[in-house]
Amino acid sequence: MEVLIGLVINGLATGMLIFLLAAGLTLIFGLMDVLNFAHGGLFVWGAYTGVFTYLWSNSFLVGIIVAILTGLVLGFVTEKLIITPVYGNHVQQILITLGFMLVLQEMIKVVFGPNGVPVTVPKYLSGSWQIGDLTIIKYRIFIIAVGFALFGLLYFILNRTKIGLVVRAGVMNREMTQALGINIKRVFLIVFMCGAALASLGGMLMAPYTTVVYAEMGMEYAILGFIVVVIGGMGSFQGSLMAAILVGLAGSFMAYYVPSLSVAVNMILMAIVLIFRPQGLFKVAKG
Amino acid sequence: MIKQPSLLSRSNIVYTVIVGVLIVLPFVLDSRTMTILLTQFCIFAILAMSYDILLGYTGIISFGHAMFFGIGAYTTAIMLSDFGPTVGIFAASIVVGIVLSAIISVISGALTLRLKSHFYAMFTLAISGLFLVLAEKWRTVTKGNDGFTFRAPELFRERLYFYFLVLICLVIVFILLKRIVASPFGKVLIAIRENEQRTRSLGYKTLGYKIIASVIAGVVASLAGSLYVISLRFVNTSVLTMDITLDALMMTIIGGVGTLIGPIIGAGVIEFAQHYLSGLARDYPIFERWIIFFGILYILAVIFFPRGIVGTISSSYNGWKLKKGQKKTVKLIEKEEIQQ
Repeated sequence: MEVLIGLVINGLATGMLIFLLAAGLTLIFGLMDVLNFAHGGLFVWGAYTGVFTYLWSNSFLVGIIVAILTGLVLGFVTEKLIITPVYGNHVQQILITLGFMLVLQEMIKVVFGPNGVPVTVPKYLSGSWQIGDLTIIKYRIFIIAVGFALFGLLYFILNRTKIGLVVRAGVMNREMTQALGINIKRVFLIVFMCGAALASLGGMLMAPYTTVVYAEMGMEYAILGFIVVVIGGMGSFQGSLMAAILVGLAGSFMAYYVPSLSVAVNMILMAIVLIFRPQGLFKVAKG
Repeated sequence: MIKQPSLLSRSNIVYTVIVGVLIVLPFVLDSRTMTILLTQFCIFAILAMSYDILLGYTGIISFGHAMFFGIGAYTTAIMLSDFGPTVGIFAASIVVGIVLSAIISVISGALTLRLKSHFYAMFTLAISGLFLVLAEKWRTVTKGNDGFTFRAPELFRERLYFYFLVLICLVIVFILLKRIVASPFGKVLIAIRENEQRTRSLGYKTLGYKIIASVIAGVVASLAGSLYVISLRFVNTSVLTMDITLDALMMTIIGGVGTLIGPIIGAGVIEFAQHYLSGLARDYPIFERWIIFFGILYILAVIFFPRGIVGTISSSYNGWKLKKGQKKTVKLIEKEEIQQ
């Protein structure tokens, strides 16, 4: 039982971090049919800028704020410089965002150095609780709490506010929303920036979890993000949360019970979904 | 009437001259590094051409091309170190690598190619990531990230002989692929690139064509991988990394998609530029990250020259010829008017 709870907490924490990455990806895709392969680059930039501020100022909170700001700025730059020029051309979008990912990843090595940077958990979040035989690491609970809080916030924005209404309408039917006099490109810019900020925040929160940041982590987690987006259904916000938790749990359980399969489990999940339900578990009603 | 391309057409003469230059070049330069560099160039030209079949002719984006390259590389390396370094084993390992690549490309193609292009890009990215992790974990066979050295067949230890083998492979692959894209099958691929729905409504089962295209690309990439490890006599997990895919992608985009000769030129540009830029890195540390320059160049190419070097040149050449032709016609008409 203790093992089971521990594994669930592990899986949830990982799932939440992947969710932060996948939420932006899925909304960006749903809104404009843009698959942003540079998302992992935004993730790793958030991690590095956040961690460096954190190590310099000794304040985890300042690090998080800087990571979010980095995400917003980079999101703006990416949308204006990279996505807009090739708007409407899928092949070019995929190619160019991947190229930008490469540039972002290499720029990390130029600016912050090619070696990984060790990170520790801030004092007030380090340590663990002991309940009987069960050890609960505080930082994991913190990640889960942040993840659910952000999901709640985003869910509220998407379902209860004007901008959320526009975003949901845009995902369902872009042309119709435009025809009703809404500047969908501006909405898209906002969503892109928010998605980038979420990814950056995810990177920053990931850093103390994995205890080290390195330039290639962007690509590694971006792959997980893509898997989640495929499983959850492209464009589905709730789907991405469910799929992220599924991927996180599958990873943590497999790593414990069948370690040799743990690398392949996400791929197997994705393959199964692609065979039986290629539109994803949560299909978006496209009008 | 369809004009039969003559054996002595202008482009064929150009190709022959290029091959001639490539044959003579190692003797003229006469240095070990240059021969190695030329060998690398030919190998990556083969890889980039295979990528062009997918990207340039069928309009499929794959981010997992390194997987096929790596399969070929590991198959050859493992078979040569286990069964002994003979030419026969080497040939057999190429065949085994090709069969493995074909099987995997059929599976991944059947799973994702019926969906939108995004899915194939993501799926190949993920599955090649899986292969990289597998190679790192399966230490008993692959020796993990450290890799292992092995003995190349006696014949290919002479760098020059191996260079000629690679050059012959390049020429054969080029001719074969050229035949394939010029065949009715190739025309269907181009039709799929231009408008898949229309092609399907004309009665072509596009999924089958796309899968075959991905198999051809995978098989050729596997051959490139087999040749690559012989030139290094060493293999580690770097043959499966994203960098290989990105190299192929950049060579194809910068050289010119959908031209076959473009990727070869792109491979030349990138291989030689890479060589000289990393030479510069001793004095200017920024050049250690030469990949940034290529990344930026690649982004600019996608935005401003989506047809690459060859595409841009040939379209401006055709435009020029058209203009010249128009002038000629105008002159002819004027002449006739005067005569009348």
